[in-house]
Amino acid sequence: MSLPLYYFLSITAVNILMSWALYLPYRVAHLHFIIVANMAISGYTAAYLILTWHLPFGLALALGFLIGGVIGYVVALFIGDAPTFAVVIVGFTFIYIVRTVIENTAAVGGTMGIFGLPNIGGTPVIHRWTMIAILYGLVLVVGFLIHRFDHSQLGRAASATFVDPELATSLGIDIKKLGMLVQTFSCTLAGGCGVLYGFIFKSFHLDYFTFHLVGILMTVIFVGGYATLWGVVLAAPVLYGVPLLFPPEIASWRIVIYGVLLVLVLVLKPEGFITPRFVYTIETFLSRGRRKRKFP
Amino acid sequence: MEVFIAQIINGLSLGSIYVLLVTGFNLLLLVAMIIHFAYPQVVVFSMYITWLVLQLTGNNLFLGALAAVASSILLNLASAPLFQKVMKKRGEVDINSTMVLSLGIGMIITDVLSHSFNKGFPIAFPDQLSGKTALLRVGLISILPGQVSSLVVGIIAVSGFFLLLYKTRAGRAFRAIAEDPSGARLVGIPLFKTGIESYALSGLLGGIIALLIAALLGSASPDLGEQVAHKVLAVSIIAGLGNLAGGLVVGLLLGILEAIVQGYISGSWSNGIAFVVMLVVILAKPKGLFGIKL
Amino acid sequence: MALNDRTPSKLTTTPALLAIEGLSVSYGQINALKKVSLDVFGGEIVVLIGANGAGKTTLLETALGINTPLAGVIRFKDRAIGGVAVDRNVRAGLCLVPEGRGVFASMNVLDNLLLGAHNNLKNAGKHLGRVYDWFPILKKRKDQIARTLSGGERQMLAIGRALMSSPELIMVDEPSLGLAPIVVNDIFNILRMLNKEGYTILLSEQNANKALKTAHRGYVLETGTVTLSGSAEQLLSDPGVREAYLGA
Repeated sequence: MSLPLYYFLSITAVNILMSWALYLPYRVAHLHFIIVANMAISGYTAAYLILTWHLPFGLALALGFLIGGVIGYVVALFIGDAPTFAVVIVGFTFIYIVRTVIENTAAVGGTMGIFGLPNIGGTPVIHRWTMIAILYGLVLVVGFLIHRFDHSQLGRAASATFVDPELATSLGIDIKKLGMLVQTFSCTLAGGCGVLYGFIFKSFHLDYFTFHLVGILMTVIFVGGYATLWGVVLAAPVLYGVPLLFPPEIASWRIVIYGVLLVLVLVLKPEGFITPRFVYTIETFLSRGRRKRKFP
Repeated sequence: MEVFIAQIINGLSLGSIYVLLVTGFNLLLLVAMIIHFAYPQVVVFSMYITWLVLQLTGNNLFLGALAAVASSILLNLASAPLFQKVMKKRGEVDINSTMVLSLGIGMIITDVLSHSFNKGFPIAFPDQLSGKTALLRVGLISILPGQVSSLVVGIIAVSGFFLLLYKTRAGRAFRAIAEDPSGARLVGIPLFKTGIESYALSGLLGGIIALLIAALLGSASPDLGEQVAHKVLAVSIIAGLGNLAGGLVVGLLLGILEAIVQGYISGSWSNGIAFVVMLVVILAKPKGLFGIKL
Repeated sequence: MALNDRTPSKLTTTPALLAIEGLSVSYGQINALKKVSLDVFGGEIVVLIGANGAGKTTLLETALGINTPLAGVIRFKDRAIGGVAVDRNVRAGLCLVPEGRGVFASMNVLDNLLLGAHNNLKNAGKHLGRVYDWFPILKKRKDQIARTLSGGERQMLAIGRALMSSPELIMVDEPSLGLAPIVVNDIFNILRMLNKEGYTILLSEQNANKALKTAHRGYVLETGTVTLSGSAEQLLSDPGVREAYLGA
């Protein structure tokens, strides 16, 4: 596999996964930006342990998920049912603190970053194929889980909570438990993504875990459509891939373009491009097609 | 001890800037009924425009000040139609839409600033603004005229704002809408027109804040908006969204806390400590210390 | 005498101050008002009687400009005002004393009154003097926060606030709601006094006894339609009205 293709596929997979990690809590109206901090914490910790204690990759990845989950769970104890803006600020604050800590800790490379992570499986080629396999395997598993969630009682409860948390509570929905569930899942996923992201490049650098990433993820879910998981599937590859086709001078204005797109979508097409109604239309169309084919 | 006092003065100047920012934010929340996460970024944008004007006019402070206020008012008014369009219900805060819209606006501003002005490098304001010679020197800490003037102007601005709120027609309308938007409507107060007035007033405050920050810090960078925005938002959450008096107290406290920490610990960590303190408070009381209006 | 007749009035040759014809208003799927017609002539006190949910508040608020009607015409001083913004109608001389909402609890009495003059601040001093003459208790409490006023004082404040916009027609939504009987007497005396001073009054009430004794004419509103209209005496003596609305 060529290097550019590898990078495109792997980064797109991470974008899909991280956007889903933002999508899920937003089903209860929480913009859980802390996931960027989760990526950094799990990623840097895993990298450090691998380089200094020679931890095997699999264990490091599992640890990444675990750290993400623990942090997510503990924080959710406090903000599982908090108002949206509180969740946003907690996320931002975490990102700041984590960045400051990493910047000032020489052991994890400070502002220089961590380099020289080992190839999984020994050779670069095996490494790349393994990464793609893991990443897309994860995409399938997570996509399946989120799909099941959306089409379950929990998904309906989430939609009710999104519209009116007080009404949801009076309907018997435990919004704190629901919030804790989605927040913990997101943070777990983000932790694993952090480790995996680093292994795409075999290095970690603070430049990635920034508020730019927050902006990118937000653009993906709102432009793609925040009400179904398919919005992310469409928007993540397109928003990442299209700027790659532009000349570098224009591509450097990526973030501004994303911001403008975000504002335009909010004003003109608030539900995003892939709306639940659109998905329903496609699903009915496909099932009709299947039925048609049964008759010769 | 002298260091402590010097840092208190520093802290009060910084604090009054936070107070003004929280006040502008709360005004937009209570009267225009929007959550404007990027209000501080708009202020920083005005700072950059001021810098541009200063560069073009050979550091003409009067024109610079005019540019600050005018650009801030115009930018705020220009964002009004966007916010109006995404708000789904009239007379009620639409938290999600306005919040995400303002996050988007903040994204655009920060990145435009890091691309096009001064090639992304921090900009410096002329010494005349902050004053070259120290008024007071205590050990390694010196109090520049800029710090004192920013404190004085800050106090005047905050007092002026509260005076407006309690003694003028517009202020009465603001308070009525803040208490009960639909009741205000029934009484004949034009919600839309008054909302626009609040954008203009926030713009005016923003322009003043831009000048104060320029006087206090002497420089600005594209990241400044984001950093300040997050602190201001944390302050408003801790004080309780929409709580003007609470914002006054918490804003000043944050300024003093930061200044004291800065006096004793190096820069990078002082920021981190402020955030840790705020994080702990928000986690403990996500609805704010004094309760939220929403 | 047919109770549905429009009572002949000495004012029938001049157009009604407020003329509503065929008004229909809906909230989403709910039809709150269905082809309602009523007139209020200058110098009258007209009462709108109806139970909870009959549409009284909807009618008054639509006339004020809060809702846009689905169909029908509203004319004030012979100009069509359907869908016109509230502040324009207030400036034209129409105002509302809302049920339970006319007062801003966190603001003091003076500020509340000044809010009434929001659209006409130049003459505020003159109007304030008059309001203080009629309601000396408000003058006494002018720096007090409205939250600390009694129910009756708050209702007076709400009426005073409405007067500050120097209206021609004052609409009052359920003035007696939540007030003790003796206070209700005071409020209706005030309405009578204001009417003698030249204000036209349109009020809505559930418990119609006091209202019908104060008003000249009335309309009965039931689930969004006018079922009865006539002079106050006619309505007072109507058995249906007595049973449904005149309470104990």
